Amino acid sequence: MSDFVGKGIRLEGSRPCEPRPAGTRALHLLLAVVLLLPAALRAETVDVLLAAATDAELQPLIKRLDTPRTETRASWTFWLGRLNGKAVVLTRTEGDPLNAVAATTLAIRRYAPQLVVTYGSARAHDPALQPGDVVVSRSFAAFDGLISDPLPLGGGSTPLTWQRLPHAPMTPGEKEQYTDEFPADPAALARAEKLQPARGKLVPGTLGSAPQINREADRIAWIHKTWHTSSEDAESAHIAGCAMLLRTPVIGLRVIDGTPEESAALALQFLEASK
Amino acid sequence: MKISSHTTLQEGTELTERTLLSGFRFLHVGSLQAATSRARSAQAPTLHVMREEPERDLLRSLRYLLCGCLLVALALSLRAAEAVDVLVQGAENKEVAEILDALKDAKKIEIGPFSFWTGTIGPHKVAVSLTGQALINCTTSTILGIEEFSPKLIVNQGTSGAQAPYLTLHDIIVGRRAIDYGNFTSPPRPAGAGSTPLAWTPVPQRLRIPATGELQSFPDGFAGDAACLAVALRTRNPMGRVFPGVIGSAHEVNLELDRVQWSARTFGMDVEEMESGHIAAIAHAYGIRYIAFRVVSDAPYEGVPFYPMAARATALYTVNFLENLPPLP
Repeated sequence: MSDFVGKGIRLEGSRPCEPRPAGTRALHLLLAVVLLLPAALRAETVDVLLAAATDAELQPLIKRLDTPRTETRASWTFWLGRLNGKAVVLTRTEGDPLNAVAATTLAIRRYAPQLVVTYGSARAHDPALQPGDVVVSRSFAAFDGLISDPLPLGGGSTPLTWQRLPHAPMTPGEKEQYTDEFPADPAALARAEKLQPARGKLVPGTLGSAPQINREADRIAWIHKTWHTSSEDAESAHIAGCAMLLRTPVIGLRVIDGTPEESAALALQFLEASK
Repeated sequence: MKISSHTTLQEGTELTERTLLSGFRFLHVGSLQAATSRARSAQAPTLHVMREEPERDLLRSLRYLLCGCLLVALALSLRAAEAVDVLVQGAENKEVAEILDALKDAKKIEIGPFSFWTGTIGPHKVAVSLTGQALINCTTSTILGIEEFSPKLIVNQGTSGAQAPYLTLHDIIVGRRAIDYGNFTSPPRPAGAGSTPLAWTPVPQRLRIPATGELQSFPDGFAGDAACLAVALRTRNPMGRVFPGVIGSAHEVNLELDRVQWSARTFGMDVEEMESGHIAAIAHAYGIRYIAFRVVSDAPYEGVPFYPMAARATALYTVNFLENLPPLP
């Protein structure tokens, strides 16, 4: 856009000073408007979409953007620029599935990224994980689905007997296909597996997400056993499901009980490794 | 959409085929940039000629004006389809079948894996959308539908499970409110202490308000459009009764009556399903009018199992509603 406007100004300035008919000048003005409009409608493509829940996780990356600019659409914001030589867009997921899927859909539609990176902190489901460990997504599981068995009034609630209800992404031809997991991009995973955590170890695993903060040890063990989750956060698998719907490769990077700075540093390290 | 506990799931099915999005209507950036570039390069000699032959200004200007108009038309045609008055949604084929039968001059548009059919019902230009079930599908398809068709109103309809004992098969709830009831925080409990859903703390859906940039919580969910609610309550359900009520959404099928009762008391829910509350949030974010209709397809208090053909009632009701609804401003 800026390139086009610049040339437009230069063309205008190169015009001779001799007087021209007023009607012609008006037509040229109209012509300029007409030619600028398609440029205004022009979308920008990027290499990578980086999605994180909070400003604290996004700002360390936003501060490093070359030629930064911001766009908004309804409730969602997009920060565009260049980072480590790549054209990137960052968006804030607000830490819940709805905002995460909405922002991801808009970003994919508007900027057509070649890869989606969801990054941030997570809580461990796998008892072998320790604070500071990094889980990179071999796959994703949205574990918010449940079906309970019928119980009468006074029969209580028995969550450890609930059945899982997988998501069913739509496919062309008006058919849904149930799936327990969403895939991660193999090439991105190979790069992610070489990352060096600031503390702790790196583990390929299943990133689980649901709009839940689970602190009951028995339920965490049940989710881990039922959905094979390594960790839980509130968006990563939902972003992966959205990316799969829109045929965009995705990778997830999560620091167990990590700080925003650790998560941002991990995302930067991944971009460096993707040069 | 409502799923029965008896629904057969194709568990473990891998979705690895990347055959989707063949019709995804992205803005064709390359084409547009090329077209714009061609127009720019064509402009310079024109200026040169103008200096030497001012008498031909008008003709040449008109020629480039025409080219510019064509570019604009190209850009707009790539950007989005023609705007509609109403985006009408159903999660499953059975939930949109009767609506598609009523659609005049129907034209199908595929956006990624999602199908839309445009046409008219009553006085309204309509896009019928098959959203797919649950949050991931319905959020993605709603955003794409809004961006593509710029609707003035979204109508979400389909099946649901009764959460209150007064409801029975084929009754329809018109959403006074729609709410996401699936978000929660559980209290810390050590291993062996079990899990107690009735002690979980609900977490309301949040949205960032475009005008202020503030993140706002919506503990009561999102109100249905008042004018649409009034028309809906005057609209005939050919198979049952019509009540105003509260529609709850989560990726859950709850058949434990204690938890059903807890949801009704905590959120005021009359029915549960998987989409309305999420789509209400998106409509709110965009400032688009919104109403939801849900037919009771199963009633756990009465032991009525999931009856998918109940979808026919809400689809026929939706057609009646659209015919009753005055043209939208």
